Amino acid sequence: MISHLGSYSLIFCTIFAFLIILQSAKLIGNQSKIFPKKIYTIITLQLFFVIFSFSCLLIAFVSSDFSNITVYNNSHTEKPFFYKISGVWGNHEGSLLLWLLVLVLFLFLFILDTKNYDNKYKLLTVIFQEIIILGFLLFIIITSNPFDYIFPVPLEGLGLNPILQDPALAIHPPILYIGYVGTSLIFSSSLAAVINNTVNSEWAKQIKKWVFLSWIFLTLGIMLGSIWAYYELGWGGFWFWDPVENVSLMPWFCLTALLHTILVLEKRNALKNWTIVLSIATFSLSMSGTFLVRSGILNSIHTFANDPSRGVFILTFLFFLIFLAIIVLFIYSENDKKTSNNFNILSKETAVLVNNWFMMYFLSVVLIGTIYPIFLEVFTNEKISVGPPFYQKLMIPFLIPFFIFMSFGPRVKWINDKLKKINYTQIIVFISSLIIAYIIFTNSSVSYLFSSFLIAASIFLVLNSLRDFFSKSIQIPQKISHFSFSILILSILLNGIYSEEFNSNMKVGDELKFIDKTIKFKGINFDEKDNYKLLRGDFEVIDSGKNTLNFNPEIRIYNQPVISTSEADIKTNLFNDNFIVFTLLKDNEIFNVRYQHKPFMIWIWISIIMLAFGGTLAVIKYGK
Amino acid sequence: MNNKFNIVYLLIFFIFINYSFADEKIKRIDKVSKNLRCLICQGQSVYDSQSEFALSIRDLIIKKIDEGQTDEEIYDYLKVKYGDWIIYDPKLDKNTILLWSIPLILFIFGGLLIFRKVIIIK
Repeated sequence: MISHLGSYSLIFCTIFAFLIILQSAKLIGNQSKIFPKKIYTIITLQLFFVIFSFSCLLIAFVSSDFSNITVYNNSHTEKPFFYKISGVWGNHEGSLLLWLLVLVLFLFLFILDTKNYDNKYKLLTVIFQEIIILGFLLFIIITSNPFDYIFPVPLEGLGLNPILQDPALAIHPPILYIGYVGTSLIFSSSLAAVINNTVNSEWAKQIKKWVFLSWIFLTLGIMLGSIWAYYELGWGGFWFWDPVENVSLMPWFCLTALLHTILVLEKRNALKNWTIVLSIATFSLSMSGTFLVRSGILNSIHTFANDPSRGVFILTFLFFLIFLAIIVLFIYSENDKKTSNNFNILSKETAVLVNNWFMMYFLSVVLIGTIYPIFLEVFTNEKISVGPPFYQKLMIPFLIPFFIFMSFGPRVKWINDKLKKINYTQIIVFISSLIIAYIIFTNSSVSYLFSSFLIAASIFLVLNSLRDFFSKSIQIPQKISHFSFSILILSILLNGIYSEEFNSNMKVGDELKFIDKTIKFKGINFDEKDNYKLLRGDFEVIDSGKNTLNFNPEIRIYNQPVISTSEADIKTNLFNDNFIVFTLLKDNEIFNVRYQHKPFMIWIWISIIMLAFGGTLAVIKYGK
Repeated sequence: MNNKFNIVYLLIFFIFINYSFADEKIKRIDKVSKNLRCLICQGQSVYDSQSEFALSIRDLIIKKIDEGQTDEEIYDYLKVKYGDWIIYDPKLDKNTILLWSIPLILFIFGGLLIFRKVIIIK
């Protein structure tokens, strides 16, 4: 019953989408300042029905209504309540419904936010956004309806993959999707601004809070996925350059570039076409992310369910949207030659361009690395793997110039800045970063010439970002975000260089030495929980200072579906994470034990949260 | 006396050498296995996986290292047996020339665009 209601509301939404597009097209010529009441009403109704439809699925999940095939495939009566809720978006069909919900919600908020703006611009944005909404509605109804039913009604569901039953992963999709979907609004409104011929400071001022908002959610969404991979997959890494991770990083690079460029458009009324291109590219990358993940053409740790026909639909739709955007640009974009003027080499404008230069380069590395193997296989039938070494080799050497540019960028003034002959502070900062890097390296066993330069450059960035806090011309959100970013980079680098790991097979009672530590496997015990049985290991790690740490990692065997997972035990403090995970090898006797010592791990997460916090301050500031 | 001391010294020396050899060997096994894809897993390396396949590949690596083969020889052997798909670090060859060069070409291209946009004012 409830599934039928949900299904019908989606059909209503589709009709509304058609209505809105037709009505808006009719009213575009209207010069009235007031937003047409009729369209506002239909959009509100559409929002209501999407929320209603989403609630139907939510109720079906919570009440374990197995006549619904989505619920049957992904839920189970014994599943904890929290994961029944997160199960709604923990699958393909439900996650698309969530996409749709955010799409419609954002359009509604956009209308509320732009009360005093030109009607033509608003109506055009509504049309483009509704085209996207319509595409998603058809996609959901035709290929992935979450409300399909099953008869006879099964007594029990199949359950949710246990590695997805996790708090970080439960909130990861909604957060990431808000980021993705936010870019759709940037896409729609940028095309509207092109047609309306209002790609200017005014528009930049209005749209930039949406850019920041999407960026904040995308940043946090990526972080949550990464935290999950860190403790749940149990390999101790937090980024694997896995295709599914890469597709979330690509729009991030693009959006970060846009975030800086939009400020140039606002302050200097320049880089118009480039801003539009970035807006379109960001959304296309978000869409192709969905396509790549859902089509199943990627071989990935995160691919759980897929179906080629869905991929074809999204790909066709994506091409349609890009084609539409190109046509709009071709017909309406003003000739940039007349309006554009060159930038002085020492100006904030140039600094932003340099930022964009590096962002686009990193984007191209990740993009090519992710899709190249797919194309190669299609054309030559040869399969290659592009893994972490590729990304590291192409990205790390470029980090040093990037850090140095970023150290100076924020302090450069708009239009034209003057170079001081001798900048004593800068020399002091430079020498101090060399000294700190030297101290770090003499106290460690690792010594590669290149990593020492890299560390020195990142310390240089940290010190300069710290110094920026005393600058009056830089705004607070920027100070916080840039400083957090520099801390993020430094933590990642130190973590990468100083991580130690021990990987060995052990029996109960074994004691092994690892560098200056002793690892003791003291015992195991069995336990039973609601929806899984578990095997708890008892480990002790004693370091050279006779400090003891106890670890209790678990091996869980879930009932529904029967899958075993390893739960790492992580001891976190401000300076390092200690991490033990174990897996069963054979005969319930021999275990593979992995111990890891990971310095500054917590600072990676803290700095990302601070980075997003800086963005939040900016939104609050611009929202006023 | 002196003789005895020498023997002890030699013993310590050998233990030390053996120890560091063992250490080096583990490091090499880890390094090689991190660069190999576990073919039956989803996106896991041979190092990370505990599957039968990964364990057999690790045994193979140990055997090859004991036979005195270099890392490159081990990779080549596995490539012939399982195809390029198994190596995470794609070699530069006719199949991957675009993979390695496109990002770098784009970087140079981007630099040129910026160079054209920027002027120097004294």
